[in-house]
Amino acid sequence: MKVLIAGFGTVGQGIAEVIGTRQSLFDAMGEKVSIVGAFDSSSLIYGDNLDPKYLVEKKKTTGKVGDKEIPDDVASYIEEADFDILLDTTPTNIDHAEPGLTYILSALHSGKHVITSNKGPLALKFSTLSAAADANGVQLKYEASVGGAMPIINLSKQLLAGENIISLRGILNGTCNFILNRMKEEGLPFYQALREAQDLGYAETDPTYDIDGVDSAAKVAILANAIFGMDVNYYDVVRSGIRNITEDAIALAAEENSVIRLIGEIGGGKLEVAPRLVPMGHPLSIGGTQNMANIITDLAGEITVSGRGAGKNETASAMLSDLISIIRNKE
Amino acid sequence: MKMKINVDLRLKDVPGQLVSALDPISSCGGNIRGVVHHHDVKDGGRIAVNVTFEASSDPVFHRILDEWEKRDVEVAKINSFIETYPIRYLLVGDISSAEMESVTRGLESIENVVSIDVRYTGAATSSSHTALITGTVSSQDTLKTLDDFFYERTQKKNYLLVRGLEL
Repeated sequence: MKVLIAGFGTVGQGIAEVIGTRQSLFDAMGEKVSIVGAFDSSSLIYGDNLDPKYLVEKKKTTGKVGDKEIPDDVASYIEEADFDILLDTTPTNIDHAEPGLTYILSALHSGKHVITSNKGPLALKFSTLSAAADANGVQLKYEASVGGAMPIINLSKQLLAGENIISLRGILNGTCNFILNRMKEEGLPFYQALREAQDLGYAETDPTYDIDGVDSAAKVAILANAIFGMDVNYYDVVRSGIRNITEDAIALAAEENSVIRLIGEIGGGKLEVAPRLVPMGHPLSIGGTQNMANIITDLAGEITVSGRGAGKNETASAMLSDLISIIRNKE
Repeated sequence: MKMKINVDLRLKDVPGQLVSALDPISSCGGNIRGVVHHHDVKDGGRIAVNVTFEASSDPVFHRILDEWEKRDVEVAKINSFIETYPIRYLLVGDISSAEMESVTRGLESIENVVSIDVRYTGAATSSSHTALITGTVSSQDTLKTLDDFFYERTQKKNYLLVRGLEL
């Protein structure tokens, strides 16, 4: 299998490294996986069997993954290049989903499988992308787009394939959970807890996507399509964030033996992201930066799954599982 | 308004009496939750049976009692209570005391609201207030009604709604 990596930031470097370290696994499956190209926002590199270590080192030392300039028409390059799987790790843009949307569609239309960690294209154009994959007889995989190392999509679609999933509630953004937990544990005002999250690298300089529930709403839209078979997008999700949560609110919740958590919910006619009062001891009352999903099915009842929601290795882990799935399906 | 009822019955010690005692519950639309048949406990020559069931209303329960009387089923003891559902809402933002009074009046006018408790806090130096509203309702449909009430109210008045996870 020849792979092309689109985007070479933290996530792109992580999956490149994992492909390098998991060669014995691929050998045992009778498949060779080689990186035949990678590009970031300004540069491109291609070759028969690129060394992941070299690519990561090059990016770290020069800020670019390749020596060649990225072509003006990246879509045409993706269509014409000789590879089997596009590993899309471009950043999420919830307004227009670009450039990931164009890259993914170009790969699918030219008969290449796609594994993506980018929420934007999935949250805005899920049905378009699924239809393109089906029409071209290729696979579109996206476990890394929701919850990092929390295996919610493949769990629901494969291990729970015979179940009717009635509802899902989850903590889908670790940054918000960290902030709310710090407010509760240390009595911090919201903006101080946010600053702490930024200092620790959990929150971006512009934290809007996290604290206004944008990131969680994109994930709710993806899960609604992927697990519940709905045809919805990000704008169908009713959304409110946590930036107006006060110390008083946290304290009053504690008097009720509860905590406030930003919860994504699908089911009962709801598609929603909102802060909720969660009883202490409930699975969704956890602190820290973990993601957690609590699903109710008709046969198995309540199932709770958790995992680290972000990070280089965690996202690479999810993309690796998708890569292995494609290799197995090929067999 | 759903009722949960626990009764101690005394049945004649002849075959078929238990089925005859339970039949009025199901035929009146009740939902049997538990039956304990005390074969070894006799009271005045009758066998003791404890039954727990749900009935949708007081008249339904009385229809069951009437039917038991017709069938010579003795009722030794009755414990009944109305099943309630907890509600919890937290409001955060520029909420005046007049607005809180209005919210409370609105809640009191909603059918099947059994109890309401309001805690209202605010800093003297800030316009931001927080209100925690807890209580119980006696109908599951009312949970949805309350949810809609608070959602519309917070949208209109532009403050933050934090709902309990019960809904």
